[in-house]
Amino acid sequence: MNDRRRVNGPPGGTRPPVYASLLETGTGAGDRSQRQRQPAELRKICMHDDNLSAPAYQTNLWHFRTSVLKTGLIPSASGSSYLEFEPSASLTAARANPKSLIPPSSALKLACTVHGPKPLPRSAAFSPNLVLTTHVKYAPFAARKRKGHVRDSSERDLGVHLETALRGAIIAERWPKSGLDITITILEAEDDRWWGDAPDSHDASWGMMNVLAGCISAASAAIADAHIDCLDLVAGGVAALVSNDSTNSSSSAPRLMLDADPAEHRSIVSACVVAYMPARDEITELWLKGDSSKASLAAGDQRTGHEALIDGAVDAARGAYTVLAEAVRESLQRAFDQS
Amino acid sequence: MKYKESLLRMAWTPRNVLSTYRADLFKRKFLDSFAFHPPNHCSTITSHPLAHKGQHNGSFLPPLAIPGQCLGSVDNYGAGPGTHIQQSNIYASIAGPVVLDPAQPKAQTKGIIRITRTLLPSKQTAPIAGGAHAASAKSKPRYNTLPAVESIVLARVTRVQKRQATVSILVVLDDTNTPSADPSKTASDNDNVAAILSSAANPENHSSTDELRFQAQIRKEDVRAVEKDRVIMDEMFRVGDIVRGSVISLGDQSFYYLTTARNDLGVVMARSEAGNMMFPVSWNQMRDPYTGVAEQRKVARPN
Repeated sequence: MNDRRRVNGPPGGTRPPVYASLLETGTGAGDRSQRQRQPAELRKICMHDDNLSAPAYQTNLWHFRTSVLKTGLIPSASGSSYLEFEPSASLTAARANPKSLIPPSSALKLACTVHGPKPLPRSAAFSPNLVLTTHVKYAPFAARKRKGHVRDSSERDLGVHLETALRGAIIAERWPKSGLDITITILEAEDDRWWGDAPDSHDASWGMMNVLAGCISAASAAIADAHIDCLDLVAGGVAALVSNDSTNSSSSAPRLMLDADPAEHRSIVSACVVAYMPARDEITELWLKGDSSKASLAAGDQRTGHEALIDGAVDAARGAYTVLAEAVRESLQRAFDQS
Repeated sequence: MKYKESLLRMAWTPRNVLSTYRADLFKRKFLDSFAFHPPNHCSTITSHPLAHKGQHNGSFLPPLAIPGQCLGSVDNYGAGPGTHIQQSNIYASIAGPVVLDPAQPKAQTKGIIRITRTLLPSKQTAPIAGGAHAASAKSKPRYNTLPAVESIVLARVTRVQKRQATVSILVVLDDTNTPSADPSKTASDNDNVAAILSSAANPENHSSTDELRFQAQIRKEDVRAVEKDRVIMDEMFRVGDIVRGSVISLGDQSFYYLTTARNDLGVVMARSEAGNMMFPVSWNQMRDPYTGVAEQRKVARPN
């Protein structure tokens, strides 16, 4: 749909152009960012903790990127939150010592507001439950390709996924005849691929899955900030089967990564997002994409590829939950101290 | 459990700072972040050392809870507002201070765990009278409450018709207060209740804010308890009056239903034709202090 109401920016990119020669000069500007990590076997580590050496913990700990989650930053909304994922050490390094105008990867930054519970519009039918509405919108400058002001199909898709994830967590029957609007603005989105890769090298929108996981955690924090009854805080987690080899030999079967940043890997074979409630051990939303049949798991691991993928995403969600729970607790404590 | 605290801080610490931590500390922190309590392991959470004991005479209740936090078993407690029950354990469903309403020794009931939406600690809300409240009233905590059946609300009249008056609900009075509580001291999500109530209905910005408020109707037969068939709505309410009413039904898709058929319910604040605040003189009259003109209203009994 054409947006005729605004003066739009030029279509296309929001970042400086990339020249192919830059990738071959060897200045380091065109290096793919990478986290040094082992395939994720978190569940195993948790069970057999005693015979593991300390370095293994360190490498596994780095699976998760640091994240910032704050609630209650928007005073006019009944609940709000801001979430930020720092992508990798390479971005920090690139900022400190820039070799190129192009950042090696992008962070995830999003703001979530919750308005309500408020009366339903006059035209709406009677509802004994809370009516949940979710809007996810990319800012025009959020991705490397400029987004329009009108929500496109991928944004509507994210909104539906988010609504599914939250609907399972909210106790809707405690808020009859009222509506809850959840609006998420994505200020910076994760890349679908490394910027140096050709646009068609792996064309699925993998970054969207990381964005969804962030949306779920942020929305959960904002709902808690708005004091809407829910069963548990619901955290989003991503796991992916990634392959870093350019050759498609049989020995390079894709490995499982938690909280994978698509910009750090040559190709993503399959990815999974879950919305997970740790206190109940329940999943409210599950989104699997790609081919998970060829995962290379540890020897003796009997799980199929998609089981491992879902388990990995749940582990990632547990990692996100620690941040989420602490953010909610901190804002509660702050409000408690003020009163 | 010191490392629990440092774990929490870890989630906020940049990576380079973390790398200076000792490796064995890592191991414990890391494990703790993933050793999650299975859903039935309620006791491990309730006996959390961060929870203090003193407030609730010896029970291990945390002072503050977040959604999904286990608070106790239904064998020992009852589940109040702000909590839910899953697999015979009580879990918090909102973030807030945990309050234990003690059991009545005569009536064999269990203590009720609830989570308050107001952030004032319970011991302050109950006995406080007048003066000391002024400081805390300045920074009123906001919270969400829906009108429920039998809750007392304050509402502004927006339209008076022959058979009913339409009002928009401004405040749902807190359950812990008596119905006759001073509205200016009631916590609500409207930041300044006193200002909302005392300001005249402003036609310009009124229409937009009304869409964000719950609408209600007072039907002709619900205005008073006696002589219901003689009620003339124009002599009961005028547009702009502030009415204290009780919710009798969630109503239809667009309106709640209120009643004022009690002595303590009815118009609490009204302006005269001249625009002055009137004072009540009888159950059906209010008088303008400047012009001396009396007007008819269904007046709520003043406290």
